[in-house]
Amino acid sequence: MSRSPLDPELLKFPHVVSAREQAVLRLDDLSGHSRFGCKGPGAEPWLAAAGYSVPREPNSAMVDASGVMVARLATSEFLIEAVDGGSERVDSALRQLGSGSRPTNVYPVARQDMVVGLQGPGIQALLRQICSVDFVPLFESSGPAAGPVALTSMVGVGVVAWPRRTQSGPALRAWLDPSFAHYFWTTLLEVGRGVGAMVIGSNT
Amino acid sequence: MSRLPVVKGERIDRGTAVEFTFEGRRVRGYRGDTISSALTAAGVRILGRSFKYHRPRGLLSAAGHDVNAMMQVRNGGRSVPNVRADIVPVQPDWDVTAVNTRGGLARDRLSVFDRLGAFLPVGFYYKAFHSKRWFPHWERMFRSLTGLGEVDFEAAARSTPKRYDFCDVLVVGAGPSGLAAAIAAAERGASVLLVDETPAAGGSGTYARGGISDNSERTESLIAAVGANPRIRLLTSTYAAGYYADHWVALVAPECLVKVRALNVIVAQGSYEQPAVFRGNDLPGVMLASAAQRLLYHHAVAAARRIVVLTSNAEGYAAALDALAHGVEVAAMLDLRAQPGPASEPAADELARRGVLTHYGVRPIEAVAREGGEVGNLLFESATGAPAGRQKIELDGLWMSVGFAPANALLHQAGARMIYEPAVEQFVPQTLPPGVYACGKVNGVYSFDARIADGAYAGACAAARLGLGTEPTVKVKIPPLECPTHPYPIFPHTAGREFVDFDEDIQVKDLVNACQEGFDSSELLKRFTTTGMGPSQGKHSNMNALRILAKIRGQPMDGLGTTTARPMFHPVPLSHLAGRRFSPERRTPLDAEHAALGAVWMPAGNWRRPEYYAVTAKPREEAIADEVRAVRTQVGMIDVGTLGKIEIHGPHAAEFLERVYTARFANLKVGMTRYGLMLDETGVVIDDGVIGRLGPESFYFTTTTGNSATLFREFGRLATWWGLQVGLVNLTGHYAAFNLAGPASRAILRQHTELDLSDQAFPYLGVREALVAGAPCRIMRVGFVGELGYEIHLPAGYAVDVWRALLNSNSTSRVRPFGVEAQRMLRLEKGHIIVGQDSDGVTNALELDMPWALKLDKPFFVGQRSLRILEKQPRRQTLVGFTLPQPSSGGTQRRPKECHLVLDGTQIAGRVTSVGWSPTLARCIGLALVSPAVAAGKQLRIRIEAGEEITADIARPPFYDPAGERQRLGELT
Repeated sequence: MSRSPLDPELLKFPHVVSAREQAVLRLDDLSGHSRFGCKGPGAEPWLAAAGYSVPREPNSAMVDASGVMVARLATSEFLIEAVDGGSERVDSALRQLGSGSRPTNVYPVARQDMVVGLQGPGIQALLRQICSVDFVPLFESSGPAAGPVALTSMVGVGVVAWPRRTQSGPALRAWLDPSFAHYFWTTLLEVGRGVGAMVIGSNT
Repeated sequence: MSRLPVVKGERIDRGTAVEFTFEGRRVRGYRGDTISSALTAAGVRILGRSFKYHRPRGLLSAAGHDVNAMMQVRNGGRSVPNVRADIVPVQPDWDVTAVNTRGGLARDRLSVFDRLGAFLPVGFYYKAFHSKRWFPHWERMFRSLTGLGEVDFEAAARSTPKRYDFCDVLVVGAGPSGLAAAIAAAERGASVLLVDETPAAGGSGTYARGGISDNSERTESLIAAVGANPRIRLLTSTYAAGYYADHWVALVAPECLVKVRALNVIVAQGSYEQPAVFRGNDLPGVMLASAAQRLLYHHAVAAARRIVVLTSNAEGYAAALDALAHGVEVAAMLDLRAQPGPASEPAADELARRGVLTHYGVRPIEAVAREGGEVGNLLFESATGAPAGRQKIELDGLWMSVGFAPANALLHQAGARMIYEPAVEQFVPQTLPPGVYACGKVNGVYSFDARIADGAYAGACAAARLGLGTEPTVKVKIPPLECPTHPYPIFPHTAGREFVDFDEDIQVKDLVNACQEGFDSSELLKRFTTTGMGPSQGKHSNMNALRILAKIRGQPMDGLGTTTARPMFHPVPLSHLAGRRFSPERRTPLDAEHAALGAVWMPAGNWRRPEYYAVTAKPREEAIADEVRAVRTQVGMIDVGTLGKIEIHGPHAAEFLERVYTARFANLKVGMTRYGLMLDETGVVIDDGVIGRLGPESFYFTTTTGNSATLFREFGRLATWWGLQVGLVNLTGHYAAFNLAGPASRAILRQHTELDLSDQAFPYLGVREALVAGAPCRIMRVGFVGELGYEIHLPAGYAVDVWRALLNSNSTSRVRPFGVEAQRMLRLEKGHIIVGQDSDGVTNALELDMPWALKLDKPFFVGQRSLRILEKQPRRQTLVGFTLPQPSSGGTQRRPKECHLVLDGTQIAGRVTSVGWSPTLARCIGLALVSPAVAAGKQLRIRIEAGEEITADIARPPFYDPAGERQRLGELT
């Protein structure tokens, strides 16, 4: 079974865990969700044929009814993740990409990402200390099922950031190279401590 | 010098006393007091010593520019230098001392320099210090005598946060015009960020009251309107320190640097009140009128008991009324003008009615100190200089109100063009860049009503640029009733000591001398005299210096040009500039495994890697040697996950690799790997790696650890440039990799995979995809360390389980993890190079003696053309191997280190690139880049530490297993 890039010990920081009702920020290790990446001239038609909702514009993402998100990172590069369900579909597609029957002109992109979920009323205060992108208009133009994706840098690490408005408020999911997992997570905790009380969690 | 009864709008909390120590004396103030206001209230008026002559100095601006009142503050084990007493709120139990004194403020021994001024004119160091012999002496002496506060090198580093912010309109300055601008923009729908350097909004509207509170109440209304508008955010105690491209402004907040990206910027920073220049203008008690007003209204402190106001504008008369309103005796008004202007008349009449005598058409001769150094008298005369007109007034305070200089540094940095406007005797914006606006005093607008109108106009224009409302068709222009600034408030004295620049103790004669020396342009004058180069950056000196220069050259002010204060134009704490240190460090997925095994870490690019694994009671060298022996005799495993790992797919994948590597790949069979060198256009080696063919149109290859990100970007650029149909995938962080190497590696691996590992099925340099310990892996049979080995690459999430499985294999041969140092020795024994260590930024491929890796007959590869040219030229350097004789038993041997020089006679002929003790060969071996002449010989002369030289024998690598049989071991067994 694939492991999260994050050392489980880092989910046990007692000094940042406080009562959930007091938290202004929630950080989650979401690395355990099924996902794959693909690129190439055949990627979009293959995804569409497989029933995925493919965003038309680069730097945007859509979530379909089964809970699978497709983010278009470039003209012909995609990130697909079972964000709210749909793991079996995603795993099946991943197997197909890795098999000898790989679709023509579709190149698999390994996505062993560290995935961090940010949520809570302190999210803007945190984002303004870790990233030079103004996320306010991105949140405003996003919904629970579709919205923009930003390829940017947070605390010096390249990330794919997906802001979205959920029922419980603004939330952001960031995908990053797993080799930065320790640095990214601990730095976020350090910055977050200045923002306010935090809880951390994992659904890995 | 006393604390006044409660003053409306005061910013002190009289219910909370603050006690601190100043120069050993206990002082009591209130919360909200600055250091200076608390000291002034306590009767302390000498706050510091001047930089050069160590003259006693007091409060000047009370606006953050009093560089002669900078303090060393000690508190709770911390010692902070250069704390600005005029603006920093004092805290309980601070131990405050003036900076730059010897023996304390009262008895500063360096005040002797005040009597040696004749020997220390500006520029004396240019003439005195050019001697090579004497320069070190002068340098030591001046380094010991000069400087400001003392840095506490023991202090713990502060990690200050760094923040980004965004807004439609950034308004810099929350005085009346800035407040009006913010309101106008916000009312039209813009999001506004309003910043002010002081602890509260209102600017001069809060203290320049003229004895009545009309304008302050209107200012309060504006502040209330700002507070009530949800579109306006107000940041106080925050100053804009620099403007950068695209409306990027650096804000310095109390605890952090804020980088603001604004769509529009309105500069409403006001102006700096300017001092008059006359002998004794630096005596404690002589201050800007605005400073005295700030003390009155913000801190309820009267800065003097009996004052004279030296003025040439309405603001000076207003200050006199403010003084009277708080019980300060106004001994006289000295107006530099022959008569009051229209704006001054009402206040002048009021002062006359209250018995204050005003002398018109006069000029100051000298302020004279009383015993103790504070101002005690003022000598003045009629502007004609008639001796009969000389008078003397006894006083303890002299307030200067002779004009202003616009705070236009941000506008300069933004690219505004300035023009000198005689009507206000200051530079005003002539043209402004798109999205940049100016209003208020910086725009040459001084009356309260006019500033409000000017601010509202700027705010409306900024909003209109965002599409919010329409731009006002007519700019409200209210001409000034009188000029607020005197054209030449400078009164030279034959005995000097009329200070133009308080930071650097620059006098009028210094500027005159500089011009006589030929430094008669604004830029040269500044650099020769250092005017404006002190901590206040000329905020109180540049305009007066320019006026003096204009007079000397007989030119109008407009013809001189001005200097641009570069960002940060106001001093910023270094901790703010450093900010929180974001230093991304990469770790492989096996990091925790290494830690558990006792890894001793080393940096490799931005990764951390095990240098070796510590063994109890064994020194480093022995632990590394044991790791080497384990690989040579049994089996070892090293984490090589830091290697760059890239996939390339598509019909032109082979063609792409043919172009970027020197080897041939079109003929590489599926399932095989090949070594490749990568060059730049000049033929210099920039990287190397192993390229494996996974399918007809799919390759997987490695790059060196530090180069993966750079090369991946370059590959993308090249693929686009060449128009090749390829898809590149960077797997560097997403894939783990470890090398299982040693004679027993096959037996170990066989336990965990069903892949046929026989030589027939999986030969040397082959690549296969198979499950290892249940995980999907790519396995390359490569021999970097010179033994039978398998480099296993796999998705990062499976790495820990596969590593553990291999490490815990059931075998008589224990798999021993080995680190980077052991790997370096293993590859050195084989003579394998490390690009970047055995080559440098100018080493071309021909110099590395690897002709087998260069396929110059290919149609094209990057760097090929240069190599063809270089082929016909003599080599500059050549990589050679060397060995040291085996040391005698029990004896110690002097050994070279990497980068030690190779000598040819007395000339440097190269350097050692790799060297180490080989446990396998029991001798020291190495590689060196040397001149061809030296390479052609038999020995190297190497200079080691302390200038000693040793001799090494040149030996052709590989030093170990030259036939390469061990890495093909399977074929032999």
